Amino acid sequence: MIRYLRLFRIQLRASVLLAMQYRGDFVLDGVLEVLFVAPSIVPLVVVFDQRSSIFGWTFPEALVVVGFFHFLNALVEGAINPSLLAVVEHVRKGTLDFVLLKPADAQFLVSTARFQMWKATNVLSALLIWAFAFHRMGHWPRPLDVLVAVTMLGLSVTILYSLWIITVSTAFYVVRIDNLTYLFDSIFDAARWPSSVFRGVLRIVFTFVIPLGVMTTFPAEALLGRLSLQALGGAAVGAFLAALLARVVFQRALGRYTSAGG
Amino acid sequence: MIEVRSLRKEYRVHKRAPGLAAALRSVFRRTYETIVAVDDVSFEVAAGERVGFLGPNGAGKTTTLKMLAGLLHPTSGEAHVDGHLPRKRERAFLEKIMLVMGQKQQLLWDLPPAETFELNRAIYDVPRAQYQETMAELDELLELGELVKKPTRQLSLGERMKCELAAALVHRPKVLFLDEPTIGLDVSMQASMRAFVKRYNERWNATILLTSHYMEDVLALCPRVVVIDKGQLSYDGTLEALVRRLRPEKRLILRLGAEVAEGDLARYGKVVEHEKLRVTLQIAHADVREVVPAMLAAFPVVDLTVEDPPLEEVMSELFARTRAAREKSEKAEKVGKTETSNDEKGDEA
Repeated sequence: MIRYLRLFRIQLRASVLLAMQYRGDFVLDGVLEVLFVAPSIVPLVVVFDQRSSIFGWTFPEALVVVGFFHFLNALVEGAINPSLLAVVEHVRKGTLDFVLLKPADAQFLVSTARFQMWKATNVLSALLIWAFAFHRMGHWPRPLDVLVAVTMLGLSVTILYSLWIITVSTAFYVVRIDNLTYLFDSIFDAARWPSSVFRGVLRIVFTFVIPLGVMTTFPAEALLGRLSLQALGGAAVGAFLAALLARVVFQRALGRYTSAGG
Repeated sequence: MIEVRSLRKEYRVHKRAPGLAAALRSVFRRTYETIVAVDDVSFEVAAGERVGFLGPNGAGKTTTLKMLAGLLHPTSGEAHVDGHLPRKRERAFLEKIMLVMGQKQQLLWDLPPAETFELNRAIYDVPRAQYQETMAELDELLELGELVKKPTRQLSLGERMKCELAAALVHRPKVLFLDEPTIGLDVSMQASMRAFVKRYNERWNATILLTSHYMEDVLALCPRVVVIDKGQLSYDGTLEALVRRLRPEKRLILRLGAEVAEGDLARYGKVVEHEKLRVTLQIAHADVREVVPAMLAAFPVVDLTVEDPPLEEVMSELFARTRAAREKSEKAEKVGKTETSNDEKGDEA
């Protein structure tokens, strides 16, 4: 465990060095990410202009969901997508050989291969949105609610990461999966809305297949102090099963690796 | 150190005829073909040995190396490297080996090679003191100097290859698989690579299995060669014995002071090459003692050297013979089958 923490630190260090190498990108992307916060709230402002609550969510409460959306988005774009694209490239060129030759867990190595530091500014956007939302509500979250929300966020990240690993595993079968990241991004975009706004088939899909509701709505409910213990338990079981499934799928996919050029 | 028993690797590949119509058809109905990349290959390599693993393109060399390194899973048969089953990818196994590929690189493209070395040090858990000692040695042998501080993308191919090799050796592997490590390098860089590999092998008693299309690499590094062609083993033994078996003749290379008629030269041996004042003659090994003084006496010889036939020729001869033998046995098999089916028909009648 300590060894893997050390490895994580060293992988992160390489990404930081890379970010420093291209500091122009660092500044520009950071500024852009903060500027994009405003347009991301516009749809919400338009909807709530007509009524004070939608499906039990007031405007500031819905903003808490948007905050979690930004937080997870920072993670997707900063830690998940860059590594995902790197794995696809590795499989296509056959350079995954070097990952598999290393005496460390292959899933760990590919998952921590590349981070885009400047996307971390999105976390700042999330903090700003939460601050604004709770200011509008006129009270701050209770420490226990913050603790539950952080736990729930951990589960959300686990689910998101598992979905990503399963997506990556398809690269071993179909090689070109670059477009899947766009699909992933556009589906994930729906996570900016509280899950109760979805009805019918979409609700089932976004709860069980791609659990967007669990990812952003559950942590928001936790922070607002109204997440039930059953929901938290359900999310924990779901996250565990997703991680297990991702592990099995990735290991099987590795067995299918044929390398390239020779 | 390395034991390979009846190793076999099959690939299932999608096959289609050229053209748009065939491409469209293949979208709906795919036909697959099983390609046997490695077929029943067995050999052993002792600790500290340097073995050349040779064969034409597509012979199955790289596939075998990748199975030995644990990257590919064999279809059947077994390989053991220092007591480990490579496909299990055990940590103890991966810490002992390394595969260097001349056509692929592990160095982080936008960062200096020193960063990759540091990353590998952490992954392989190399103690700081040992790491510094190894890096100092590699620096001296490969003359890395300031190279390790420049971003990889700014290095030349040769410089990059030196750093690739250094990155691969940070953990001092006991078994080194080298897959065309000198490809694309200039002659002097090839020579220094060879010298380095030899010194590494002698210094650490490392086992080395090398594939290369440059016969110079093989001549300089590998007392023993294992040859495969179309996935099958066609020779395993010393280079000298291979040359003696296939081309027992010697080559006399003469530089003459004046032109000589080919007919006169042919009396001493087979004229392989005759270009004005330069002549290459092929003679039986046993005749060298007699022919050399006779030719010196008969012709205005300025310079004379006696050599083995080029290794490239020996290899092509080996491949040609193996293929001819294989075709013959396949034909015999086909005839046998036809006869059997005719017999069966006869029985039915």
